[in-house]
Amino acid sequence: MSVANSPELMDKLLNGLRLAVTEMMTAMAMSEVVFAGQESVDAFSLTSEVVGLVRLDGKMHGMVGVSCSSALLREIVSRIVGLSPDELLMEDLLDGAAELANMVCGGMKTKAQIGDVNLSPPVSIVGQEYTAQWKTNRPTTLFTFQMEEGVLKVYASL
Amino acid sequence: MRVLIVDDSSVMRKIVARGLRQAGFTITDILEAGNGQEGMDLLATDTNFKLILSDWNMPVMDGLNFVKSVRSGAPAIKNIPIVMVTTEGGESKVGAAMEAGANGHIKKPFTPETLQAELERFLK
Repeated sequence: MSVANSPELMDKLLNGLRLAVTEMMTAMAMSEVVFAGQESVDAFSLTSEVVGLVRLDGKMHGMVGVSCSSALLREIVSRIVGLSPDELLMEDLLDGAAELANMVCGGMKTKAQIGDVNLSPPVSIVGQEYTAQWKTNRPTTLFTFQMEEGVLKVYASL
Repeated sequence: MRVLIVDDSSVMRKIVARGLRQAGFTITDILEAGNGQEGMDLLATDTNFKLILSDWNMPVMDGLNFVKSVRSGAPAIKNIPIVMVTTEGGESKVGAAMEAGANGHIKKPFTPETLQAELERFLK
């Protein structure tokens, strides 16, 4: 089902998503993160150097994506695993982008108490020049979080 | 004491290993496997683990089938406690893991305090 027809459920999901990002950055990365706003956007289209994507299906369908610069991802992953940013391998960055998306979605699901929704294995992209797009007619919300080392964007089409 | 971490994410394996040390457990060895099958291959030759921490979603062999394989495995491994570490908080999935023989469940994200509270009974 689309949650677009249920404003109450949509609010629960979007609030859950916002809280999940803040909690994850605080609890695991021990980073200060400031919620800098949310807005409706026309397309689910991500172009930063790093993207993590998770598809939701079951009782409801949708897609959540996180994106940031590779420098910010390197800093976040380094804080989470306790290694210097220079010690991280490409595998760590790919898995780090995937885990960010995974934990954000898992947190949203738990906080919104939506029950029978499956999360796909995450997809991660780390590169210089690309666009990751999901063509959908679902409404897309973009959340922006300001961190000391850069901006983290989270897209949700639900 | 020795712990086995089964997770396809190199980052999550590092996070769990770091969390275990930060939680204050005296761990001599942390071994890692990238999926359930790798975990079973490792357990075929090395059975001396106090605890296994396993992800749910993994390629080749997922966490649920890994738990079933361990529980129906050799006597030396079938009683090793297994705690699932996953984002899946749904009651049905947790229930399925426990029914298959898992001994506990930790949700990501977690803190060293969470690990300590959840794992103390296995790592005394």
